[in-house]
Amino acid sequence: MSSTSLADYESIVGKQTIGELQLLAEGLKGRRVKMVNSTAVGGGVAEILNRLIPLLNELGIPTDWEVIRGGEDFFEITKKIHNALHGEPLSLTPRMKEVFLEVSRENLRYTNLDQDFIVIHDPQPILYIEAKDRTAAKWAWRCHIDISNPNGEVWEFLNGYVEKYDAALFSSPRFSKRLPIPQYLFFPSIDPLSDKNRNLEPEFIDQVLERLHIPKDKPIITQISRFDRLKDPVGVIKAYRMAKRYIDCRLVLAGGGASDDPEGEVVLDEVLTEAKGDPDIHIVLLPPTSSLEINALQRASDLILQKSIREGFGLTVAEGLWKRKPVIGSAVGGIPAQIIPNLTGVLVYSIEGTAFQIRYLLTHPDIAKKLGEYGHEYVKEEFLITRNLRRYLLLFNVLLHPGERIIHL
Amino acid sequence: MEVNPFYFFTSSNLVELTGEKAKTLKELVDLLKRCTGSAIFYHVFQSYRERHFAIEKYHSDFAQWISTSLDEEILAEKLGALDIRDFTSIRSLREAMIQVIETHLQRYPRCGSQLGKTPFFFCQSVSVVMPTKYIAWSLEDFYQIIEKIGVRSIHYHLIEARLRLGIHTNDFSYWLRTSLSRDRLAKRIEGIDIYFHTLEEIRSIILQYVQEEMET
Repeated sequence: MSSTSLADYESIVGKQTIGELQLLAEGLKGRRVKMVNSTAVGGGVAEILNRLIPLLNELGIPTDWEVIRGGEDFFEITKKIHNALHGEPLSLTPRMKEVFLEVSRENLRYTNLDQDFIVIHDPQPILYIEAKDRTAAKWAWRCHIDISNPNGEVWEFLNGYVEKYDAALFSSPRFSKRLPIPQYLFFPSIDPLSDKNRNLEPEFIDQVLERLHIPKDKPIITQISRFDRLKDPVGVIKAYRMAKRYIDCRLVLAGGGASDDPEGEVVLDEVLTEAKGDPDIHIVLLPPTSSLEINALQRASDLILQKSIREGFGLTVAEGLWKRKPVIGSAVGGIPAQIIPNLTGVLVYSIEGTAFQIRYLLTHPDIAKKLGEYGHEYVKEEFLITRNLRRYLLLFNVLLHPGERIIHL
Repeated sequence: MEVNPFYFFTSSNLVELTGEKAKTLKELVDLLKRCTGSAIFYHVFQSYRERHFAIEKYHSDFAQWISTSLDEEILAEKLGALDIRDFTSIRSLREAMIQVIETHLQRYPRCGSQLGKTPFFFCQSVSVVMPTKYIAWSLEDFYQIIEKIGVRSIHYHLIEARLRLGIHTNDFSYWLRTSLSRDRLAKRIEGIDIYFHTLEEIRSIILQYVQEEMET
């Protein structure tokens, strides 16, 4: 768990912002919170919880974190459900539902639920809500996934549980649904003090490039993401090839895996096959502990891509923008929330569009620089961990005053 | 005359998603007719403030969407040109927006069903208001506090206040007029074009006006 304290953020977000967070937490002191998700390492959710929970504790709101435990069959089903929420076809068999239910019930047998607020992250532990009657807690479902076009059958199954929560939290207005419970906009966040985002010495960046055998002789384009079809790494290689006909550059595809993603290796093989024979394509497989390397790769890049086909939020966009880099991102999931077209970055809709924008931004560094500067300011306003903390403090206050539009503390 | 002090508050908003979306201009105008006043306020006054470091072409989310998603630049310009100082309530602003769109639809009926590149998602917000430690008893106090208060407090008193007081005025002007009898300064602050300045620029403008007032 992170050991940074709230005061450490003062030089980044200002004294007033820290003071406001303390004011918002004043009336919540002593109230207890539980966060439940499906993985302790790898992926954006675990990263955020690692940073957020110590800050909630520091503000006097005791918060604990539980990871749902399940076997391989459970995680295979939840991965399928995850993909189905992104729109892929899936027919839920009675056996799948049974495993899904059994694992939640088994976990609940050992779970202490005497908190004031329980926040369930994503579909894996969504069935915990079955225990709502056992508690006086307010329950929120935090959905990090793009559910704008979900598989109907799977959404219908989950919706029956979502409706039992006191609130649903979505990463983008695009994901909102007609629900009988309040829904709030909850952008995820990055931590400017984490190894992945803090400032680095130029010498360290050079060392990382050297270690990964990436020369600095031409512009570097980078996509950082898990090797997952939904991140379209093969599409990125195609866009790079189209752009390279006009402007010489290198492509870095770097990413790790998550313990709840069994598909990663298959996709990595596909990417290696596609990249074969091009010495300017660098495929870098990183373990989950490689935050400093990712930071260095982003800082060494001239351009950051996030050409996802589906996306929960795409925090790598915010990471790139925080480092004042021009970012080209697909108009999917939470990416349009981070990229205001031609102000904080560029949105694209195809491989061809991505190639065109790579060419444009590499030949117009002044425009690329301006995008990066505005991007940095926007991330400072909306996507830092301190803003996420503010949203949780607001949520807890709002849950204590249901139905009120203006709450006076 | 006994002076009432000015208590500085600050507020934070949690954005609520209504689950309602418009894919065409026709759907947008239908939703404009039945959405909450809070949603109108959010899309005209609040959401653009999240991007307060930059000035965009249109401050209203509605005009912005009509421009970027529907490519209906004539209508976006007409909607963007509505001067909020001409309205005294969210209701009258809503009616004016509906009238501008419906006039456009009468003239160009085919654009009513044209699909936007992305839908328009209706949001509204829940505000949590908190007192700060700052209290002004005089113009001098007011100046010193404005210099150091967070921009959210300026936003709350200058922009969110319009929901309570009517959209032509703000908390600062109200206090300066009623407690300090500084009508000229109150009017100057009401006249600040909140759309074409960042919040930091607005802070500087208020400081400049107060400074000039103190020198006269």
